[in-house]
Amino acid sequence: MKRAEYKIPGGKLLAAELDVEGDRMIGVKITGDFFMHPETSIIELEKALEGSPTADLEGTVKRFFRENDVTLFGIHVEDFVKVVRMALES
Amino acid sequence: MKETWRLIDMRIEDAPTQMAIDEAIAMARLKENTPNTVRLYRWNPSAVSIGYFQSVEKEVNLPACEEHGVDVIRRITGGGAVYHDYEGEITYSVVAPESDPKMPADILESYELICGAIANGLATLGVEAEFKPVNDIVAGGKKISGNAQTRRHGVVLQHGTVLVDSDIKRMFQVLRVSDAKISDKLIQAVEDRVTNLRRYLGRGVGFDEARKALIKGFEDTFDVALQPGELTAAENQLVKRLHDKYSSREWVFQR
Repeated sequence: MKRAEYKIPGGKLLAAELDVEGDRMIGVKITGDFFMHPETSIIELEKALEGSPTADLEGTVKRFFRENDVTLFGIHVEDFVKVVRMALES
Repeated sequence: MKETWRLIDMRIEDAPTQMAIDEAIAMARLKENTPNTVRLYRWNPSAVSIGYFQSVEKEVNLPACEEHGVDVIRRITGGGAVYHDYEGEITYSVVAPESDPKMPADILESYELICGAIANGLATLGVEAEFKPVNDIVAGGKKISGNAQTRRHGVVLQHGTVLVDSDIKRMFQVLRVSDAKISDKLIQAVEDRVTNLRRYLGRGVGFDEARKALIKGFEDTFDVALQPGELTAAENQLVKRLHDKYSSREWVFQR
């Protein structure tokens, strides 16, 4: 399993774990002490990443936040991209 | 005449009940037209609460909790892990509609205002405390309170911890801080970052004194009178239902 931890500027901690099958990621789990409402959006984000091409990580994450009404606090869309990329590269 | 908010004062309950009450008040606020509410409460048995997005296995030393009879619960709010020491901590919660003229629409501003109420309360005890973004209150540069907010059902729910006389050694037995061992050195480092009312003031502060200070902080900051009250029948029904969710392994271990 691939795993990465990332300390967001400002203090919050973000972690991602996942596996890669071919050119796609599976079993994506994102954890941390950030804020996101509605909170269950994290499950939807993980679903959006599940089976998605590793090459289009940024596109998948940005599309998710464009298409869903999610409020972030203490974290930005780019932080999710960054931690998943770090896990992919681990 | 001053606006009145409901005060649910110092109920002592277990972790699933406390979290169920906070969520029930938020759910009922607009649907049942219940009043804006401030709660002050303590956790018995002592408990670790983790943020909604945290991994329970990564954040909590489960065998240590088992050994010391400490409950473990997942909140509906994000943020970090907190040790709610029955003998040394007060938790508050506040619920008001997002549309309330006294509640800023902006999330950071609303944190600032609510944390300001806590800081104003602590000031009456002689503590110079201030909000430190993202979600902390610090006194003398050290954390004395952690806070977490969510917005759902059209309301703001914020809850947070005020450290009165917490057992810091126990705190770091039940919380997992990397894989570092709990050595005197580590506890020293923690003491440099975390404080409580006893340590800051150099004297013991009773729960009643701390509670009065926090009530005053909320009343002055929001320009309201807090009127002691109870949960409604509808809220109590919700608490019953939500208690099952919070005490389920499925909820606590979901990530």
